[in-house]
Amino acid sequence: MDVRFSREGNSLVVMMEGEIDHHTASRVRERIDNKFLMEPVKNLILDLSRVTFMDSAGIGLILGRMNRVSLIGGKMIIRRPKPEIQRILRMSRIEELIELDA
Amino acid sequence: MQPINKMRTEFLSKSANESFARVVAASFAAQADPSIEVLADIRTAVSEAVTNAIIHGYGEEEGMVVLSCVLYPDLIEITVEDFGKGIEDVEKAKTPLFTTRPDLERSGMGFTVMETFMDSLEIESRVGQGTRIRMTKELKSR
Repeated sequence: MDVRFSREGNSLVVMMEGEIDHHTASRVRERIDNKFLMEPVKNLILDLSRVTFMDSAGIGLILGRMNRVSLIGGKMIIRRPKPEIQRILRMSRIEELIELDA
Repeated sequence: MQPINKMRTEFLSKSANESFARVVAASFAAQADPSIEVLADIRTAVSEAVTNAIIHGYGEEEGMVVLSCVLYPDLIEITVEDFGKGIEDVEKAKTPLFTTRPDLERSGMGFTVMETFMDSLEIESRVGQGTRIRMTKELKSR
């Protein structure tokens, strides 16, 4: 799992690449949180277009980041998940909580 | 029903083996030429079961996790077994969003994912002895 960061106005964009499971999630979580704290941004965009696998550890990762973003009144957006990733997002009903940018 | 093929592999309860296990199970199932969706479901369910064994079965300890697959003409049976702590209350563990490890940002969705993505799920667990998860998935050829 590789993450790259960029800025879009008031948002931090995290381009995630590879597979999200418990092993990889615990490694990228801290990097995302640190970057989000350092940048003068309010919102977080997780770009999942290059994520090829995700299990419930990904759900935990997304919900954990959403809680942090909402603490400062920001918004979280999930961008372009592949169909197989959309399936687990739907199942977890995360889409009811987080804006999906297909 | 007569099995067509069987496999069994064991590995240390290290989180790096989560991807190893799901790739092995999916490669084995691929012999039956199932759809990409079915393979994706198997990958996800195995990942959940193995992660449970690593985090909840062994926690800070290390132990072996056994993954075995039996292939039938139109079905695969997958078993993931650990010899760790065991689950005190299986029904509670299956409740969506219930987790004993919120510190790890576990979503509490592991068993729900396994139940949703597979056709059957059985959990056998004994406190102090370990947990065995048996799942089956129909393999419709594409």
